[in-house]
Amino acid sequence: MREYEYHAPESFGRLFELASADGVESRFLAGGTDLTPRISAERNQIPRYKKPPLRILYLGALGLDSVTDAGEDVTIGALCTLSSLLENAVVKAKLPALHEALTEMAGVSIRNTATIGGNIMNASPAADSVPALLVLGTECTLRSASGERRVALAEFFTEPGKTVAKPGEVLVSVTVKAGRGGSSFKKLGRRKAETLSVVNAAAYVELRDGVCEAVRVAVGSAAPTVVRCADTERALVGRKIGEDSIRAASSLVEKAISPIDDIRASAWYRGRVAPTVVARAISAAAERKRG
Amino acid sequence: MSRILKFNLNGNPAEVKVGEADTLLEALREGLAFTSPKCGCNHGDCGACTVIVNGDAVKSCTVIALTAEGKNVWTVDGLAKGGKLHPVQKAFHEYGAPQCGYCTPGMVMAAVAFLNRHPSLSSLTEEEVKDALSGNLCRCGGYKKYAQAVIAAARGDFGPLPEQEGSGKNV
Repeated sequence: MREYEYHAPESFGRLFELASADGVESRFLAGGTDLTPRISAERNQIPRYKKPPLRILYLGALGLDSVTDAGEDVTIGALCTLSSLLENAVVKAKLPALHEALTEMAGVSIRNTATIGGNIMNASPAADSVPALLVLGTECTLRSASGERRVALAEFFTEPGKTVAKPGEVLVSVTVKAGRGGSSFKKLGRRKAETLSVVNAAAYVELRDGVCEAVRVAVGSAAPTVVRCADTERALVGRKIGEDSIRAASSLVEKAISPIDDIRASAWYRGRVAPTVVARAISAAAERKRG
Repeated sequence: MSRILKFNLNGNPAEVKVGEADTLLEALREGLAFTSPKCGCNHGDCGACTVIVNGDAVKSCTVIALTAEGKNVWTVDGLAKGGKLHPVQKAFHEYGAPQCGYCTPGMVMAAVAFLNRHPSLSSLTEEEVKDALSGNLCRCGGYKKYAQAVIAAARGDFGPLPEQEGSGKNV
């Protein structure tokens, strides 16, 4: 059987030293709601070939669990649990789409453990926080032994389960723009709670006298990564926001997506419901701005 | 390799030998023979392994055991005091909520954590209770009685809710 090591380094120096060792595979552990069951499943299998030891590097002792409100921007530590963010007044007031996404994510006992950084780094196309963060405008801060770099969330994911983070780079925080517009997140799952999205969508809308001045729309679980819907956005800018314009623009979402069949839904079904979920997100975002 | 995990279990200091990738569920069941948390799915889906860690209901199969170092963990075993059941346990019993009983320890811990954290028990709604128990699957389908029992326990039908037990806030 494979060997496992566990470390909870208290400094980044020690973390990167441990992460760069030869002959072991290193994985960063945040909340563990995705990684722990994956390790358990691996431990229950008879390995086909010898794997190097797995070094589990717990990030919980690095103090990455705070939220900083800098006016225009809100910086969220990667290790903030979903529950702590759900209760956070700054997130609720300034980042409504993210707050709404958090209410829809899993159930209480998973939210108590799972972290925002883990949801991003797991890089699932169905991650619920990602469309919300994408339409709000988010930059990810990656830290490695050689320093920090910032990557726009829009350029962060490359394929399911993959990000631009290099081995040894750890996500320390995300910086999210508050913006003056309204934002919202909507999700369609197989059941109400504790479910992965069949399709999810988020929208950010800036209005002046009912006319759309700026809009960002993202849809998830309908392509290899969460995607922006450029055609939908173009169809809305400069138009009066109403039921008809939203419906027409939302129907263009099919140009942005490439859904697949999986255990949760068929590609056909995803293609049919995506415009509806997108339309709901846009209406709610516009409504939030008015109200 | 194995390590020694030191934490507080049901208000008592506990030490257990764990593998470095072991889950908290394994540490409790196999290391300490506390078999009340059940290994239903081992995937974080079913909630049968729910325990309370530092006041929060968590699914112990999703937690690497060594991350619980120094924390306060409560299982259903720690709720009864002096031979008397916790009001939530009494309520589940009186309402006949458990059928096969496999999900019950997890349901109890999810309910206790929820009631401990709820700011005003008198104004608690059924929707909130359903939300609090939404991470716990009952394959007998006994959700309704569980929800009703939690509301009754919150109302005080089965005696006052103890302050500290299971809350883990300061214990």
